[in-house]
Parts: sequence; C-alpha cells; structure tokens
Amino acid sequence: MLKTLVNALKTGNATTKYPAAPIDLPYGYRGKPEHNEKQCIACGACACACPPNAIQMTADEGAGTVTWNIHYGRCIFCGRCEEVCPFSAIKLGNEFELAVMAATDLDESSTYTLEPCAVCGKLFAPRKQIAYAEELLKNDSGITGEELDTALARLRVCPTCKRTLDAHTAQATSRVEGGR
Amino acid sequence: MKNKKELRIGETHVEAVRSHFPGSIVDASWQGEEQLCITVKLDMLPDVVEFLYYGRGGWMPVMVGNDERSINGNYALYYVLSMEEEDPCFLTVRVEVPPEPGEYPSVTPRVPAAVWSEREVYDMFGLRAINIIDNRRLVLPDDWPEGLYPLRKDSMDYRHRPKIAADMETYEFLRETGDSETTVIPMGPLHITSDEPGHFRLFVEGETIVDADYRLFYVHRGMEKCAEQRLNYDAVTFFADRICGICGCAHSVAYAESVENAQGIVVPPRAQYIRSIVLEVERLHSHLLNLGLVCHYCGFDTGFNHFFRVREKSMDMAERITGHRKTYGLNLIGGVRRDILKEQAGTLQLVRELRTETQQLVEELLGTPNFDARTKGIGILDPKVARDYSPVGPTVRGSGFARDARYQHAFDGYKSLKDWKPKVQTGCDVQSRTLVRIEEFFDSLDMIEELLTNAPGGPILTEDWTYTPHKFGVAVTEAPRGEDVHWSMVGDNQKCYRWRAKAATYSNWPVLRSMFRGNTVSDAALIVGSIDPCYSCTDRVTVVDVKKQTSKVLTKDELEFYCRNRRRSPLMD
Repeated sequence: MLKTLVNALKTGNATTKYPAAPIDLPYGYRGKPEHNEKQCIACGACACACPPNAIQMTADEGAGTVTWNIHYGRCIFCGRCEEVCPFSAIKLGNEFELAVMAATDLDESSTYTLEPCAVCGKLFAPRKQIAYAEELLKNDSGITGEELDTALARLRVCPTCKRTLDAHTAQATSRVEGGR
Repeated sequence: MKNKKELRIGETHVEAVRSHFPGSIVDASWQGEEQLCITVKLDMLPDVVEFLYYGRGGWMPVMVGNDERSINGNYALYYVLSMEEEDPCFLTVRVEVPPEPGEYPSVTPRVPAAVWSEREVYDMFGLRAINIIDNRRLVLPDDWPEGLYPLRKDSMDYRHRPKIAADMETYEFLRETGDSETTVIPMGPLHITSDEPGHFRLFVEGETIVDADYRLFYVHRGMEKCAEQRLNYDAVTFFADRICGICGCAHSVAYAESVENAQGIVVPPRAQYIRSIVLEVERLHSHLLNLGLVCHYCGFDTGFNHFFRVREKSMDMAERITGHRKTYGLNLIGGVRRDILKEQAGTLQLVRELRTETQQLVEELLGTPNFDARTKGIGILDPKVARDYSPVGPTVRGSGFARDARYQHAFDGYKSLKDWKPKVQTGCDVQSRTLVRIEEFFDSLDMIEELLTNAPGGPILTEDWTYTPHKFGVAVTEAPRGEDVHWSMVGDNQKCYRWRAKAATYSNWPVLRSMFRGNTVSDAALIVGSIDPCYSCTDRVTVVDVKKQTSKVLTKDELEFYCRNRRRSPLMD
C-alpha cells in the first residue's frame, strides 16, 4: 500500500498535453500518405502495390481521363505506395488526425489526361507517362537519328496496334525471305 | 544399417512409422531443413497420428484441409505435428480424401487435440470425420445454409452472402452434469473478458460450476477465403497483421515464413533479428496488459492503471521500431522493410526504464493480499488434459510443460540465444500462468537487449528467389499467448491456393471446459482472463433459471464486482 503511494507520488502526472499541445512523433512515423499531384505521372504502380486497394485508378473513356484516387478509410498506412513510386510522388507524412464528418471526405483524387493511340485512336496511356518516356528516349537512351524517330513514333502506338504492326512486319519479312 | 549422422532431420520418425505400420507410408518429402510431410493411407491415419502423438512426443497445433481436386482429384488433410522430444521437427501427416463419399476416419477419439480442426474441416469442406463424437458446427453460424462449404474451390465467391437459413440459434450446448440439478448461466453472446464475442453456458449447482460449454466464432471474418481469391500472396503479410490486435506481427511473420520455407527463401540474418525483436516487443505490451488485468481482478485497480501507464512505453518502443504503434506492416516475403539502426539507443533506454518500473509494479501486485486468495488453486489445468489437447503458451507452461516455439523450433534471431530456457510453473492454476507471464516479460527485455546489441549488419530483404506453384510449408512463431502456426500453399496465379492461420488461442479454448469445472461462478471471468489477455469489454450477462423459466440480466459491473469481492452474489435474489 505504502509502496503504491510512494510510486504514484514519484511518477507524478503521466499524461501529456496533447491535443492542447502537439505530440512528439518518432523518426519514420507512418502517417497519412500525401500525394504530390504534379510529380505523379499516373503510372499506377501504387495502385498495384496497395494491399487493401485504398489507391485505385479509374479510366473514363468518355472524358479521356484517368483518375487516381485514394480512400483514407481503407488505408492501412503500410507505405508500400511510397516504396514503389518511381517519382517520390507519394510520401507518408506525420499527419494522423484523419477524422471527418462524412465518409466521402476521406477521398482524395487527381485526374490525368489520357493520350489516344496514333494508329487506332483509342485512349491507352496517361499523357504525362508518354511525355516522360519521350524525355528519356531523347536525353538518356543514347539513340539518335532515324532510330530515335522510329522509337518516338512507336511510343504513341497502343500495345494492341504495336502487336498488329509487328505481325504485319513479320509477315512481310517472311514473304520476302520465303521468295528467296 | 544407416549411420545416424546420415539421417535427415525427422527421418527417425519416418522409420519408426515404417517399422510399426509397414506399408502405411505412401510418400515422404521434406519442405525445408526441419519440416517434412508423410502421405499415409487413409485407413491408417488414426493409428499413425496416435503413434506419433503419444509414442514419439508429438503435439498437434492444427490440422489443415485443402481442396486439391484440381491438382490430384482429391481433398487432402494435413495433420501438422510438432515433434518436441527426440529429433524435434515439424512432421505433417497427409492423407488424400476422395471427394466421393468425402469421409475419413476421425483422429479425435484417439487424439482429442484434433477435435476443433476436424469440426472445422466439416464446416469448410464438407468432409465427414467418421466416429467423431462431437460433430456440431464450429466455425459457421447456425443460420448458414446446409451444403454450402465456403472453402471448396467451386462453392462460392468470397463476397457471396447466402440467405439466412435459420431464425433461431440451434447450437446444442454439451453438459455432463450427471444426476445433479443444475442451473444454466449463459454468459454472452459477448463475453466480459475474452477478446472475441463468445457465448458461454455455465451449468452450476449452487455456486459451483459442474460443467461448461461455449460457442465462439461470432466474428468469423472469412480471411482465408478472401486471401485465396482477392489478395496476391505477397500482400497477405499485411492482411495477416490484421488477424490480431496484439500479436499481428507474429501472424505476419508466421505467414511470411511459411511461404519462405515452402519456396526455400533464405532471409538475411539481419532481417531475422529484426523480426524476433519486434515479436518480443509485442510480448512486452501483451503481458503488461494481462498483468494489468490480473490487478483489476484482484481488486487492485491502482495497479491496473500503473501497468497501463508503463505499457505505454512498450507501445512507444513499437512505434519507434516500426513507425506504427501496433507493430504492423513490417514484413515482406523475403525479409523486413525497415532497418532499426537509428532507433537502437532510444530503444535500449526504454528497455531499462521498463525493467525497473515493472519490477516495482510486480512487487506491488504480488504483495497484494488478494492476489494469493484470488488466483491460487483457481482454474486448474490438469497436465493430463493439457497433454491430450495440445494447449499453448503460458497456459501450458503454467501446467509444467516447457513448450515454447522459440525453444523447440528456434527460428529467426532466437537461434542465437544460448542460455535461454522457457519458463515453467507447476501450479497449474491462474497464479502459475500469471507468474509465467511475469518471468517471460523480463526474459523478453533481456532478449531485446541481446538481439539489438548482437544484430549482424547487412541487407534486410532478399528478392533472390523464384516462385514455384503448389509448394506448401508450415511456420511457427511464439506469440504472447502461445504459438501461431501458419500453413500455406501458393497457387499458379500469384495467390494463396490455401492459407491456414492458427491463432494461439485456438488451441487453448478446448481445454477451458475442464478448467471451469469445480470452480465457482465468481471465478469464471478470471479463468477466461488467465488464458487470454485480450479484454473486449462488453455489456451484460444473462442468468436463466431453467426450473423457474425466468431470466435475469446482470450488468457487467455486477459480475465484475462479484468476481473481485465475492460478496453480494448476483444469483441470490
């Protein structure tokens, strides 16, 4: 009994001032994932990695856009999105007070324009992603001249059309070879 | 005659089965260094399992059913045995059960530890165990339609919600009360001390519990089905975290290691150390929670509050190491995601603080006059019953068995601990289980210090492996309440073909019935609390007098008051 009293007196007040004062968070705290709309190229790597499907990508063919959406109500703050993002466009911050009055307020989204295929005209990839690939080809790939032009042209063709074109090329080549 | 050194781990068991039951083994294969699987003929199943269990020091954590019709045309049952005497290893006895007639000889009459698993296999796969005495439903609710077996591959989508098939609860509660006239006390559907809702029926004569039975699984979440259909196998580590609010990391590690064992993935040593450190941090906060509750039951509520204050330090430690208060999201298949170097000094400081402060609180608790009176000789778990049912964790260690997965099946960083031995008490009562937890708490502190200091450098994650479908493996971790055993087989679609997660308490519920007998109503909550430290505080208890056909609703406070003071019996008026 006496021990308990002494212990209680020695301990004093154990509670912190939070929420009246900010609380200390440790290094590497995993809080709310913050999305940087400008940095993001809408590649969808985070949506593939997200275990609870909190991040989802939805394409709208009518509007010609793809929408990146996070629902914080589903988020488990694991940080897989941060790990897989090639552009550091999503990072787990220190914010943890996520209570809202309506469930819809837990959604955050950004919309990106889709680019049509140069051959069939169907929408197939986000414009920013193509622009990034173009940038890479021009500056980092080391290819130039005609080769570069072919690569840049192929960049704007959707996978289905690429396959058809390749098939046609292969067929043409085999005919030529077969005639020999 | 083969030289003993040439034998692989577990091979002595295979040879013993071969010589006792010639021709019973169809196939034997190894899934890793320390685990093997023997396929036996269906009619030999009970004999072989009984022989390995009682004859060669086996314990049975779980039996797994699997719908392998698309692989080999049959269902398969995997009786996972933990061999803990000579030649320790995990030995799985596998049988193939033809879909027609879908029957197999029950092991339960020979080895009672199989009872829950065999009942569950009927619920999930519709395979009937012949000669099982207790064939009631276990996992599925009473209003689930007959003939719909959720884990059959062709039965249903994981989102399917069948029409309710019954309006009334039809579960039949067992009672062995002999000739005595008993009153039935239902506790539940939400129980005052268990971490999941459970419906308990206590059959009492006066104040003494003559028999008891219970119905659980009211919060069955269908996680295994969901993992098979929706998640990729590498996202299941995050899903496994969510099985438990206390030992989440233990489940996640067990799942990851079951896949790693099956696929032959070698986890880097540093990652292994980090895993064990986090598992020990979980034990710290879980045991502090339970010790707090013991204070609460002894009427020492100041102690309860102080234990919870100190517990906060262990939560801080978890947050420091994993970036998350609840040790979640740390594991990936092949290693861990965060290094803990930066947090080392701070963590060691917290370990020291926890040691001194808890030492003080434990002295206060043990010095409480009520402690002895309330816990000694209460809720006896007879060692014989324990041997039959394979309970785990402090529950079985309080009854004299030194069963601890960290020792018998040393995994991860625990392999490096040289002088450590599991803590055992022989009182078999609530007090013994509490004392085991106290000793383990201080062990955990030592382990964290040792592991942190000795952790080798190097990478924490490996991606150097290939994915082979239909390989299976088992893995075990020692969670605060006992061993978590996971069994998994990956499919050809980057998903789990079958994942079976066995939580520690699954093994401890079946022995509770015997622990209740002979105690008084006021002990019931305390006994449940002693096997399971989670405390989902709920609303009320209904008391029914069968003869008078009356019922009375007790508040939680009334029952708790009675539990602590043993005055003013709520049954008196």
